[in-house]
Amino acid sequence: MTLAAAPVRDSPLARRNPTVKLVVLSAASVVMLFVLDPVTPAVVYLLGLVGVVVGGRLGLWPVLRAQVPFFAFAVGVFSINVLSRPGTVLWQEGALRVTTEGLVVGGALAARTVAIGILSIGFVLTTDSLALMTSLNQNARLGARPSYALMAGYRLLQQLPGEWATIRNAQAVRAPLGRNGTVRRGPAGFGRAGFALLVLAIRRGEQMAQSLESRGLGLSPRTVWHPVHITAVDLVFGAGTLVVLGGLLVASAVFGVLGGPGALF
Amino acid sequence: MPSSALTGSTAPGRSLASRFFAWHLRDIMLVVVLGAVFGFLYWALVQGWIVLSVAAGPLGHLTQHVLLGGWLIVAPVAIAITRRPFAGIVAEIIASVIEVVFLGSAVGPLLFVAAAIQGAGSELPFALTRYRRFGWLVYAVSGALGAGLVFFYSAFRSGWYGTDLLLVRFVIQVVSGIVLGGLLSKVIADSLARTGVVDNFAIGRAGRAA
Repeated sequence: MTLAAAPVRDSPLARRNPTVKLVVLSAASVVMLFVLDPVTPAVVYLLGLVGVVVGGRLGLWPVLRAQVPFFAFAVGVFSINVLSRPGTVLWQEGALRVTTEGLVVGGALAARTVAIGILSIGFVLTTDSLALMTSLNQNARLGARPSYALMAGYRLLQQLPGEWATIRNAQAVRAPLGRNGTVRRGPAGFGRAGFALLVLAIRRGEQMAQSLESRGLGLSPRTVWHPVHITAVDLVFGAGTLVVLGGLLVASAVFGVLGGPGALF
Repeated sequence: MPSSALTGSTAPGRSLASRFFAWHLRDIMLVVVLGAVFGFLYWALVQGWIVLSVAAGPLGHLTQHVLLGGWLIVAPVAIAITRRPFAGIVAEIIASVIEVVFLGSAVGPLLFVAAAIQGAGSELPFALTRYRRFGWLVYAVSGALGAGLVFFYSAFRSGWYGTDLLLVRFVIQVVSGIVLGGLLSKVIADSLARTGVVDNFAIGRAGRAA
């Protein structure tokens, strides 16, 4: 069990400024919230899939595998809408009924789930977390103390699985044995281990805060090693992506397939 | 510890975010640590929950409301320990940043929005008592509001409006908020105070003054 992300492979997408990527991803996600037809998000998904696979040099298979939870969630969203949304009945069998509205809205929500999903996966798989925090600190003017506190928290996070295993082992040594001689593990043990982990982490967090302060974190002005810049290529990438998305929405509206949140009500 | 010299440096021209964070580093670190631990525990729980919800089929979709209160715990605990305005909102947002940025939760940046709304809902009752009352009722209202406010955002995001189950979802979610996000938070915060590990924070000072 490891919480450390795999190292990011070098690719055109990986070389873009993390803050720019985050802004593009946020803007696209928010825009997609207001699109409620099945076709537009499906096109966004396909474009995003091609962009992530080619631009991130990730290969089709790892990207599809990372999407499995999204496919599962999309299936759930689709089926619950098909079965529980009132409207023109297409098919009925006892308490189960399928409506046209359910199919359309369910399809739209499922397509949106995978569309936002592929963009987020593209971001996560091509962005190093520490590079992102450094970039947010330098390019997005996130304060030094929250930035470095988050990075220290990341270090702690990586140690948590090991601490968790230690706590569980310590519990297992003292735990009552079941009839077949194995350790009985239940939710109560999970809760106790979680609490022990919380206490340990709070104690370590306080030590980290003291050592960061004793090294002068929070004093200004600060200098940085390896400054991160937003280059012209980053700006072209950001603007280009948003222009493509905007163009797609316009085209979708021209062809009359674009649907808004009104479809819900 | 001469922390005032280190932390009171809100020079003019600094960004809103850094003035917003004019906290003791210890308090920032505490909130980050809470976010990391709960992020880790959620991550461990979610692995099991995905299997469960897929196994339950369409009804599995409803299980998310049962567990929603669990996502609220970090806000009341952070408020109870630090007793600072915005601690709940900041704690929720940091927890979501850890989930998205470090744990690679691919829900993406929309999780930040949900987290901010949850934090605001959880924080409101404590703010109304000016961070002075930490009884069962305040925690319960906090959980109910945290779960209740974010419901309207989630309902819009996930398209629950106009479906038959809207009210059922709402009731399950608010009950979960009261039990897990409210009452369980009080149990956790009080237990932490008893261990003595938070003695150097506002909750410890309040305990000694009482």
